[in-house]
Amino acid sequence: MDFGAYEIDPAVYDEMFGPDGAPREHSRPLREALGRLPSADLAEIQERVSRSFLNEGITFTVYGDESAEERIIPIDCIPRILAAAEWKRLEAGLAQRVLALNHFLADVYSDARAVSDGVIPEDLVVDCPQYRREMRGMRPPHGTWVAVCGTDVVRTNDGFVVLEDNLRVPSGVSYMIANRRAVKAGLRRLYRHCRVREVEHYGRLLRETLRELAPAGSREPTLALLTPGVANAAFYEHMFLANEIGGELVEGRDLVVRNRAVYMRTTEGLRRVDVIYRRVDDDFLDPLVFRPDSLLGVPGLMDAYRHGSVVIANAPGTGVADDKSVYPYVPDLIRYYLSEDPIIANVPTRICRRPADLEYTLDNLERLVVKRVGESGGYGMLVGPHATPAEREAYAREMRANPADFVSQPVLDLSRAPCFIDGGPEPRHVDLRPFVLRGRRTRLVPGAFCRVALRRGSIVVNSSQGGGGKDVWVLEG
Amino acid sequence: MLARNAEGLYWLGRYVERTSHLCRLLREQMETLVDRPVREIHFGWRRIYGALRRRPPGPAIGFGGSDDDFTLADSFALADDLTFERSNPDSVWSCFAAGRENARQMRQCITGEMWASLNLPWLRLRELRIEDVWKTAPEGFYAEVSRDLDTFMGVVERTMYRDDRWRFLQIGRCVERLQLAVSLLLAHVDEVTAAEDGSDHDWMSLLRVCNALDAYTHRYGVGIRADRVFELLVVDARLPRSLYDAADAAGRELTALAPGPGPTGEAASLAALITRAVRGPWPTGEHVLDERCERLRQIETRCRAFHAAVMAAHVQYEIDAPAP
Repeated sequence: MDFGAYEIDPAVYDEMFGPDGAPREHSRPLREALGRLPSADLAEIQERVSRSFLNEGITFTVYGDESAEERIIPIDCIPRILAAAEWKRLEAGLAQRVLALNHFLADVYSDARAVSDGVIPEDLVVDCPQYRREMRGMRPPHGTWVAVCGTDVVRTNDGFVVLEDNLRVPSGVSYMIANRRAVKAGLRRLYRHCRVREVEHYGRLLRETLRELAPAGSREPTLALLTPGVANAAFYEHMFLANEIGGELVEGRDLVVRNRAVYMRTTEGLRRVDVIYRRVDDDFLDPLVFRPDSLLGVPGLMDAYRHGSVVIANAPGTGVADDKSVYPYVPDLIRYYLSEDPIIANVPTRICRRPADLEYTLDNLERLVVKRVGESGGYGMLVGPHATPAEREAYAREMRANPADFVSQPVLDLSRAPCFIDGGPEPRHVDLRPFVLRGRRTRLVPGAFCRVALRRGSIVVNSSQGGGGKDVWVLEG
Repeated sequence: MLARNAEGLYWLGRYVERTSHLCRLLREQMETLVDRPVREIHFGWRRIYGALRRRPPGPAIGFGGSDDDFTLADSFALADDLTFERSNPDSVWSCFAAGRENARQMRQCITGEMWASLNLPWLRLRELRIEDVWKTAPEGFYAEVSRDLDTFMGVVERTMYRDDRWRFLQIGRCVERLQLAVSLLLAHVDEVTAAEDGSDHDWMSLLRVCNALDAYTHRYGVGIRADRVFELLVVDARLPRSLYDAADAAGRELTALAPGPGPTGEAASLAALITRAVRGPWPTGEHVLDERCERLRQIETRCRAFHAAVMAAHVQYEIDAPAP
């Protein structure tokens, strides 16, 4: 494949090439191997990778798109490579962040020291729609509120920054593994040559994490993954992970609460469940406590949870710590709880509830990304430079009406990585979602789900909006 | 095993059998279209719709009399209705989709090989239209789907662990086979009785639909006799698709299941009753067809009751009792 026409922009970090166009040291073997590979062969590998996803039914669903009930995430066959030292720093930074966020959750649901000490405004916490008063006074095992965290990290010329934390029901880890299996099979000789660290033991680590969280006294805890059902966008992942952890994939209708304990309906009667890895949002977990119209949840589940007979991971109420309005305070929270400086920085964020920040945002709308607090998945976001004047004006009206619902950030020059597009290499913007597990201790697999904005020039990487994926190769040190 | 999964596997077995059965009926019908008289073509269509207990779309079959062109145009519409019509829950497309959807939801209960052997044919089938298969040899299309499903069942045999998951899938298959076979026999007898100029070909085509023509020839020679066809398809334990084989296997798999929390006795009694009724002796004498049909209808009713009893015992049981 010929890289002759590959465009390098010194203002944007390229994952494979330095600003002078020379391959970065750790990417050299990949660059050379791709250079030797005829485009037709790479096209065949690309085709095989895509086909393997379809054949194996590794699909997702897009809400509101009835014509495409099951779709595959387009996977680019050229891996993104991270050097051992890069990963080591990321790993330390992510572990630090998840630990601090767990401290924060334990704090805001007990005596709220961070609030009384002025680290974070009280109303911002208690008025957050994700703050669950029902969780006050709860003490999950080992202080672990967040057992599974998917943190979105991007790279600019200034280094890695955290874009957002996903602490409720983060998804994408199955794609990390599926991408690896498919790309490894396509580039087998190169894979072996590069000495890439494995990611396929993620399921075992998740199982160990969940078992550590089991209620005291359950020697062989029964694990279950609670899914909203087959219509959910991430159903494939739910099925995959249930299998990996050796648990049942259950829906709300499979569970009942008796004597303040949770049971699942089996063909031999009711069987006790000890740990629920839930992939259902808080609102739908228990109609007796949260949304009364929920058909996805289990009546009485929260009572059993409070009683201590079952553990729910992630704990209900964790959404307050990944809300876009809390995000700007995370570096301060790390300093406050851990007495350490953050290893990975945040994106500079303006909080529109502050009049000065609102004014700045409105004055610079065409240069900023504006996000709604309480939204995720790229929905409800305004990318200023790509929006029309009419769209910006409509958004500005909403911001003036409800400033507290918005935060703004500069448009980042997300790093780019070469993708195989139309028979040749073209740069596309990428992000990175590594997954952090926390039970009694923190665990990470050396890898991540790398999302790619496949449309030329786009920086929106969400799979629901035209994004694709890439395998991430973390090299051995 | 999760009760919902048991139900899913049971229905997976049923849908796979249903799709395969319909493909065999249609393959036979497509071959009839090539060189058989118009009467036999009409016979075939009426038998299929009779077995499915459905009314064909458009005018009654046979409206065009002996007009070859009309019969073929008619057949195109009927084949489309039974193969690709999404709104027809009994079409090949709908049954395959339902089976594959069950498999998708039960993927953690089936082997990767099972999933692949069902998903790959589905990916080929899902975009097809009747025009795609009609222009060359439609019987080849039905034969291919049948083979795919046979392959799937072979993969089930070779890869699935023999626990209750396996048993629910097998019970689903057996119940479906019983119901489909009974329904086909009843529809066949109806049509044979109504026809004034029936031929051996009608009974031979029934044997072919049941993949039993070779077995018949092997056991009885080339001469076709209705009573022998009946005996082979219903009572003969050595024929893999006989009613007896399905009834016996359903009872066996049921007995091997771990006891359910609901009332289990009823399903076992019904399984025994069905096996006894199938084994015979069957009525002989002057009104043999009427009496045999009456027995078949009785078996059909018991099959439905058996289905309900299995669900009540293992899946949809009451949970008012205190937890263990």
